[in-house]
Amino acid sequence: MTKKGVKISLEKGLQNQIRDFFKKGLEKGVFDAVILPVRVPGKDSYAWILMNNAKLIDQANPVPPVMPVQGAKALKALTRKGNGIINVATIMRSCEIRAAIELSKLNQVNLEKITLVSYDCPGAVPMKGYNRIPEEMEKSFQNALAGKDFANDKMKEVCGICVDFANSPADLHFGFAGMENDGILFSNSDKGTAILDTLKMKCSEDDSQWKNSVNIIKEQKSKNRIEVYKSIQPEVEGLDNLQTTFAKCIGCHNCQSVCPICYCRQCYFDSSASKQTADYLQDKAKNRGGIGFPRDKIMFQVGRMAHMSLSCVSCGQCMDACPVDIPVAKIFSYVAAKTQDTFEYHAGTTADGAVPLKVYKQDELNKIHELIKNAEPQGSQHE
Amino acid sequence: MEKEFIPRITSFVCKWCTYTGADLAGTSRLQYPTSIILLKVLCSSRIDPVFLIKSYLKGADGVLIGGCHPGDCHYETGNYHTRRRFKILTEIFSTLGLPKERLRLSWISASEGPKFAQVSNEFTDKIENLGPNNARENMFL
Repeated sequence: MTKKGVKISLEKGLQNQIRDFFKKGLEKGVFDAVILPVRVPGKDSYAWILMNNAKLIDQANPVPPVMPVQGAKALKALTRKGNGIINVATIMRSCEIRAAIELSKLNQVNLEKITLVSYDCPGAVPMKGYNRIPEEMEKSFQNALAGKDFANDKMKEVCGICVDFANSPADLHFGFAGMENDGILFSNSDKGTAILDTLKMKCSEDDSQWKNSVNIIKEQKSKNRIEVYKSIQPEVEGLDNLQTTFAKCIGCHNCQSVCPICYCRQCYFDSSASKQTADYLQDKAKNRGGIGFPRDKIMFQVGRMAHMSLSCVSCGQCMDACPVDIPVAKIFSYVAAKTQDTFEYHAGTTADGAVPLKVYKQDELNKIHELIKNAEPQGSQHE
Repeated sequence: MEKEFIPRITSFVCKWCTYTGADLAGTSRLQYPTSIILLKVLCSSRIDPVFLIKSYLKGADGVLIGGCHPGDCHYETGNYHTRRRFKILTEIFSTLGLPKERLRLSWISASEGPKFAQVSNEFTDKIENLGPNNARENMFL
């Protein structure tokens, strides 16, 4: 089904086009404030700023090369204690939008007064690379953006396998993949349509060209995805390999604290319930011949998979934050693909519906206990 | 002489059905192995998948969840959620190549004492065949 969108010129660059859109929106009063990334004074990172004047919008970079803080976390901070009275608009990457949608399903973000805008995301530069040489990275990102290059190798590894770079349930979407000199702005929701109406933007452009090129890029990325999953599989197959992969984990729990989906205010793995007494540990050490610290590295990772993999949007923040370069994001993406497939769920891609663990069907998984009962012992490690 | 292997099976059982079922098995003088270590929870949906992961990694040879039959939950819908969570966990176990056959979910109602004994025997037999959990000896877990 083809959709109609607003034709936008990219002559002045995507950033300026987006800035103009937000300024116009503020002027006409369709929203009262915007949250945009602004480069920090040190020039080596970006911060989300809630603003309502046009001058500040000029300073903002709506499409930053890095993702230091997942946008969903900014929205969570803003609406954690309920909505304010004003309407706020924001523009984010697809993974940030999807995380925000997931959080709204989990009652952690209230999107009622938030207008979400997204764009065709060429990926994000890893924070570690950006920190060292910000100017160079800035330039190569701008080139990728201007050249509509969606397979740039400077981006995070998970960006290369992201099939949802142009697919999110945001109210409005700036599409430009595979288009010559212009782009297309279209709405995905009633809220978005109402905004375009108020701003008197005419939806005359057909989105078929954009859609086709998105599908071509998507196909390539799906292929990469299969490759990456294949390469990550032997690294996590079996307890021994899993342990080797996570052997260097220093137990900092950065991956958990930057994860947009991990919303618990007190994580079980940080709580005193997960800590043990000296007696217990000494006893364990006696039985096992010794025990390693920090404790529970595998339990933390596998436990986190059980807790959040159904909502994982594969944004790669965990891998970005890992000080010892464990490919956490790839592993989580691999596991999440499996668990989400189980319930034919694709985290964050639809705004309605509930997360699979919140709902159930009476007539499903009827054989689950028998299945386990009949499962024959497999794998050599237990024979 | 090698020590005889007596499995240790951590069993999380719901207060309203399986625990009462186990009670019935006891009062009916049915035999079931000592390998079953019961932990009473108010509802099977109280069981966080982390409990099972923890049990496995700390060396339990098997992990059993016992709950009311679907539709019979004391809290009406708890066991439907347990079922989904258990499915997710087995999916993660099979993705990571961990022994998902060491996990088991069984619906045992309060009147099914014999079933409790049967499940205990069956599961213990299976775990005996699988051998001890090698995570128990692991220093790094």
